[in-house]
Amino acid sequence: MRSRLKLLMTPFLLAAGAVAVGISAHRGADVAELGVLATGTLALRVREHLALCAVSTVLAVAVAVPAGVAATRPALRRLGPPLLFVANVGQSVPTIAVLALAFSVTGIGFRTAVIGLWAYSLLPVLRNTVAGLAGVDPAIVEAARGMGMSPAQVLRRVEFPLAWPVLVAGIRTAAVVNVGTAALATFVGAGGLGTLITVGLDNQRDRILYTGAALTALLALAVDWAIAALAELTTANRRS
Amino acid sequence: MIRYEEATKRYGGGPPAVDRLTLEVPAGQTCVLVGPSGGGKTTALKMVNRLVEPTSGRVLIDGRDVASTDPVTLRRGIGYVIQQVGLFPHLDVAANVATVPRLLGWDRRRIDARVDELLDLVGLEPATYRHRKPDELSGGQRQRVGVARALAADPPILLMDEPFGAVDPVTRARLQDEFLRLQRTLRRTVVLVTHDIDEALRLGDRLAVLATGGRLEQYGTPADVLARPATPFVADFVGAGRTLRRLDLLSARDALSPCAPGADAGGPVLPPTASLSDAMAALLTSDAPAVRVVEAGLPLGVVSLESIRAALRRDAAAATDEPSGDRVS
Repeated sequence: MRSRLKLLMTPFLLAAGAVAVGISAHRGADVAELGVLATGTLALRVREHLALCAVSTVLAVAVAVPAGVAATRPALRRLGPPLLFVANVGQSVPTIAVLALAFSVTGIGFRTAVIGLWAYSLLPVLRNTVAGLAGVDPAIVEAARGMGMSPAQVLRRVEFPLAWPVLVAGIRTAAVVNVGTAALATFVGAGGLGTLITVGLDNQRDRILYTGAALTALLALAVDWAIAALAELTTANRRS
Repeated sequence: MIRYEEATKRYGGGPPAVDRLTLEVPAGQTCVLVGPSGGGKTTALKMVNRLVEPTSGRVLIDGRDVASTDPVTLRRGIGYVIQQVGLFPHLDVAANVATVPRLLGWDRRRIDARVDELLDLVGLEPATYRHRKPDELSGGQRQRVGVARALAADPPILLMDEPFGAVDPVTRARLQDEFLRLQRTLRRTVVLVTHDIDEALRLGDRLAVLATGGRLEQYGTPADVLARPATPFVADFVGAGRTLRRLDLLSARDALSPCAPGADAGGPVLPPTASLSDAMAALLTSDAPAVRVVEAGLPLGVVSLESIRAALRRDAAAATDEPSGDRVS
């Protein structure tokens, strides 16, 4: 009940936060600052940032969920540990290094940033897919098989619905972490809110730096809220 | 009809879990696989719906080797009730019961009607329980839904693995009564697993006593197993109370001796369908030498200690290959 209330309140708080950032970005700003912080420019940076996160997270889900499913099938169970190992490596190498590596292959731009973010967000999705599916009571899976569900039907009708809350928590983690990490995309020329931060730092313009940082934080909270709301809705539907 | 032929299961290189099991369950009868844990009861049960494939030997349903049937098709034709019920926690009662009909592609109206019919059959008011989730039900109610789910597509065969294991003794006794009532009208071929000898004696037309290592020690009617245990293991497993248990399986009618002319009109009175253990209890708690058996006001005879003794002797000597028709539950 309390979490529902929090879920309903959050958009209002986020909107208030966005208005506050907008006001503090423009009030008393000089011409140079206004050039970087014009509402249109800010909106562009936010869009760039969101595109980076969305594409990389969707790609991570598209790869990690099937991989997690495969790793929990009886025939391929031995695949699990090596897969998690690879994903762990992806997670433990600093993002900036992943970006540098990707940069040496694909050069400057959106694609490079997406590859870096994608590699970084595989682990949480994969780990939670495996944990969620492995956490389904084996007796229930056997009941489903014993009643004549094909393996695909067991997965779709029983395992996925039961693993869903854990799985979606992994996607949520990956997406939120991506919002923060995408601030580094500016180093490979992919834009985003990181651009504001670096411009602010390079020119010693705190107003620009803070605006970039605050918008990144707001965006992370908004993404977190959106996925939490989606999880709540999809879980509630199954309960009615 | 289900037939095991030398069915053996080994896991890895270890000793067999089920060892050359050969037995036949006639259509419409309840066969109880009973024995201590480690006896391979559940393994033997799962051979029927191919959740376990025998290492050697085979299992036949109506003369056809199950290994030659597609497992998914095979299982849709066999009702399955598992240990701890195994209801799908994310689905409501109606959706749980509708599992197999949905897999079979029944239309929605037919499924809804069938779900209501089944909930009625197992004693759950459909209007009240249709939309409950498993975690909103008591243990006994969950068991009932489990049975309704297994019966949904009207399968001729029912496999039940400790179906009444997860409930308190009072509820268990009631569920057992209901099972017997259902089975009297539905006449399914049932294979039921339990470690509880009392439950086995109560529910089974035939008992298969399995010892550790998956060896079949005895296969026979409850009266058989009680009166003539085939091995010391069976005698030990059935327990010291087996003579008293045999009294449960015989009725006053089996031990009637003629009324002594001008017998005392006092003393306890029982109907002929009362069990001999009721008669024994009546004898022990009164001073009378015999219990009078009366049906519809007419005296049929008396039951005394001697006549009970004689009935037990007759029962032990009788060739009881078929289950006795006058068992008292």
